[in-house]
Amino acid sequence: MKKLIPLLLVALLAMVACTSEPVEVTRVVSEIVEITRVVTETIEVEGVSVEVTRVVTEQVVVETAATGPGVTPLNAPDVYGLPRNQMLIVDILTGRIGSPNNFNEWVGWKWRDRGMQNLANEPLWSVDFATGEIINGLAAGDPIYNDDFTRLEIPLRQGVAWHDGTPFTSADVVFTVETLMTTSGLNAHTFFSTNVASVTAPDDHTVVFELNQPNSRFHTTFLDRWGATWIMPKHIFEGVDDIVTFEFNPFVGTGPYKLHSYDQSGFWTIWEKRADWDKSPTGILYGEPGPKYIVFQYFANEGAKILAHLTHQADVVNLSSDGLKAVLAQSNSSRAYQLSYPWVVNNDPAITGISFNTMIAPYDNPDVRWALVLAIDIAQYVGIAVDGAGTVSPVHIPSLGSYPADFIAPMQEWLSAFELDLGNGTTFRPYDPDAPQRIVEYVQNRGFVVPEDAAARAQAFGLGWYKYAPEAAEQLLIKNGFSRNSNGMWLLPDGSPWVIRIQTDPNMATDLHSRNAVAAAQQWKAFGIDAEAVPSEARSTLFQTGDFEVSSEWPAQEPWGAGADLYRVLDNWNSVYVKPIGEVGAHGGRWSSPEMDAVIEQLRQTDPADYDAVVAIGIEGLKIAVTEMPSIPTFGYIGFIAWDETYWTNWPGAENPYTQPYTHWGPFKYMTPFLQPTGR
Amino acid sequence: MLFIRRYLIPRLIQYVLVIFVGITAVFFIPRLLPTDPVARTIAELRSRGSYLDPASIDAMVADLTEMYGLEGSSFDQYIAFWQRLFRGDFGVSFFQFPTPVIQLIKAALPWTLGLLLVTTAIAWTAGILLGGVAGYFNRQGWSRALDVLAMVVRPMPYYVFAFILLLLFGYIFPLFPVAGGASIGRQPSFSWPYISDVLRHAFLPAMSLIILGVTAWFQTMKLVVQNLNAADFVQYARFGGIKERRIVSRYVIRNGMLPQITALALLIGQIFSGALITEIVFTYPGLGTLLYNAIMTGDYNLIMGITVFSIVAITTAILVIDLLYPLFDPRIRYN
Repeated sequence: MKKLIPLLLVALLAMVACTSEPVEVTRVVSEIVEITRVVTETIEVEGVSVEVTRVVTEQVVVETAATGPGVTPLNAPDVYGLPRNQMLIVDILTGRIGSPNNFNEWVGWKWRDRGMQNLANEPLWSVDFATGEIINGLAAGDPIYNDDFTRLEIPLRQGVAWHDGTPFTSADVVFTVETLMTTSGLNAHTFFSTNVASVTAPDDHTVVFELNQPNSRFHTTFLDRWGATWIMPKHIFEGVDDIVTFEFNPFVGTGPYKLHSYDQSGFWTIWEKRADWDKSPTGILYGEPGPKYIVFQYFANEGAKILAHLTHQADVVNLSSDGLKAVLAQSNSSRAYQLSYPWVVNNDPAITGISFNTMIAPYDNPDVRWALVLAIDIAQYVGIAVDGAGTVSPVHIPSLGSYPADFIAPMQEWLSAFELDLGNGTTFRPYDPDAPQRIVEYVQNRGFVVPEDAAARAQAFGLGWYKYAPEAAEQLLIKNGFSRNSNGMWLLPDGSPWVIRIQTDPNMATDLHSRNAVAAAQQWKAFGIDAEAVPSEARSTLFQTGDFEVSSEWPAQEPWGAGADLYRVLDNWNSVYVKPIGEVGAHGGRWSSPEMDAVIEQLRQTDPADYDAVVAIGIEGLKIAVTEMPSIPTFGYIGFIAWDETYWTNWPGAENPYTQPYTHWGPFKYMTPFLQPTGR
Repeated sequence: MLFIRRYLIPRLIQYVLVIFVGITAVFFIPRLLPTDPVARTIAELRSRGSYLDPASIDAMVADLTEMYGLEGSSFDQYIAFWQRLFRGDFGVSFFQFPTPVIQLIKAALPWTLGLLLVTTAIAWTAGILLGGVAGYFNRQGWSRALDVLAMVVRPMPYYVFAFILLLLFGYIFPLFPVAGGASIGRQPSFSWPYISDVLRHAFLPAMSLIILGVTAWFQTMKLVVQNLNAADFVQYARFGGIKERRIVSRYVIRNGMLPQITALALLIGQIFSGALITEIVFTYPGLGTLLYNAIMTGDYNLIMGITVFSIVAITTAILVIDLLYPLFDPRIRYN
């Protein structure tokens, strides 16, 4: 044992020494330093030698070796022979890659944000929610439909090549579509086999689709909004016997990066800039990407992620609200999306909130749903959920990008005039355009500084929400037979206690669904309902099969995030998709209405590029959703990201939103040419 | 022959029966969970932003049910499962479709075995030795000091203790990496640079398990030995003039080890379930997160694959210990 301990210590020290990277000394720094020392001298006093001690203060020049010009030594060494200062390290949003050897995106779920969708693959089109634009990737322009939407032509970009040098042509598109049509087991098989009659390529850069039935939004299957139908490299796939089990390893794409290496355990994937990056749509559109290597790394817990970020081992991290605050407090080199409060990414094209199962009483009653809306004090709600950092929306689309201007602002008059029938001839106007001001007051009381500019405030906090009106809520409930017991707690019309269990994500501290559930439970409890947020790992299954009453799942299908077409949002409420409880359905809430069906049908007949028409029809759809309130929209999805500026700068922050800010979205590749090295 | 007829054969029958019942239970229990693998796959695709045409969902459910082999009754699936198992085929993972389950287990198992076998062995050996000696010399100052130290360390929640190690040696004194089983970019190879890299990454996870493990074994062993100190045979040995070192090693520790050997066997069997919290704190690869994710996603085949290993390992470990027990305890004879 006596020998073992020193042996272990030596082994430990040796291990650390072996793995430490040598430091390259590139300069010598001279500094003048004041030192104090004790001097002992022998002096002669009256012929006798005497030893005296005295304290001396003096200035000396000290020379030290440094690693670079004006550079603070960093903890982060080069990464296994790859230069750190040419590398960008980001965390992977969707967790450890379960099947790291498999890049076949057309089958099942393949962790496409490991760099496939965001660096190595180019779709036909991409949504950029920050600019509100649709970016032409492999496509050279918009799709051209015929009058009855049974035929469309897509022009393809010229000069694009797969990273192995093979030119990208319309043959790749035709092969992909025909393969999807004929191969059961591929994710999009049903969609293509149902919709497509034929696909042809009149020339190398044009594709023509004949559809089985009119479909004015057929092309959106190729529009990347965190996922789309990708194009297969025909020269790789045509020799494959079983495409479903084919691993497509190494991945071959048309994006500006190619696969360098990956971890067999699924912890990291490294992508390398293509030598012929100018043959990718990214290169053609925006020029040469900055980082030579981009690493997607998995962290199993936020603590480790923060430590890696603070030690410059992870440049971009997705965090929780508290995690972001911790990073900003500890780091001198990190920044958030916004440079001041609320710091967060608040233009993500998704609305959070509360969903009801409208097949189950009492949530099948719009009066009840509206009563629950009026029992919410939105300022308190947003405070509880995200410390006031949410942008509220009174309708079922988020208040971001062009949506406020296109829809929410034009609806203000209608919203203000909208009335609820409280019974006994009483009506109530629930809309409150000053609701965001109440959130501002909450935020100011928390000590945060908010912009004075009204437009900036509207962008940060929204254009309006609903009044906190517990009296009106009470009248609505009494109108429908509800009552209170002697303790003031609400009873259902049959006299039993009203219990609300809001099904939500187990990650109660950070997940935005959970934050909604916690806030709603608190508000409804204060109103006299036995309400509680109940986490469940099975929530997504239970939501789809309708095995819930109230849930904090998405209150509506997310919009595209670019353009004014709300077909994606509204069609999800189509009555033909409603399933009985127990079966997997498109929307867990199971709400539909003939009026909404009519609006959807109208949209189907409308060219999505016809701005005025799609806005007008979209507004009609949103009005129906507000009137029926099948779910409660609250605030837009919030992203908590931190960028380390030690190695890379010019991030697309709120002050310069040249593209969307996330590294996990497809258009991350379009960010890479704008990232600038710091030279460290 | 008497041993084989009276003990070994019934014991082997019991061994097979336990495995059969365990596997059968694990087959049916996940099917009672509310998580449905088909719905979970569709939900995952949709929640990750894939726009699935609502009109296609019915057909997709049917496709996935067929591909996952979930058609027919649970009993049909159960029979098919045993047929596959006898061929050594655990099927494909639903959530990581179409990756074979065995491939996923093969990738995770070496990390779990490497970490947990080593740490369990070190923690058990050190804990038993320290606990045994400290229990025998329980009136000595150093023995009490060790006891106090163990009392302070052992009640610490593992997550907190592990994260303190990570914070101390990954950030404040950045001697060790904060995440991963090996460095980014480094590919597995049988070379010293790779092995030293793996050891360096495993150091903090291993220390977290060893330190808490040692304290646990130390405390139980110390209590057992303290009781043995007063046993007649120990007193007799002392009066008989047997050297103290021999009394400690042959009389006290050897007797005190008997229940610890059974506990060790159970622990080694449980290794196949992985060390979930260790894997989460240190972002370390292994079976723990693989099994956790399989349960969360209703990945029946993967759950079955991992738990079959675990069930077989635990029952085998107990069987082996039962058979080897006479070597540790001469009082036990099966014939």
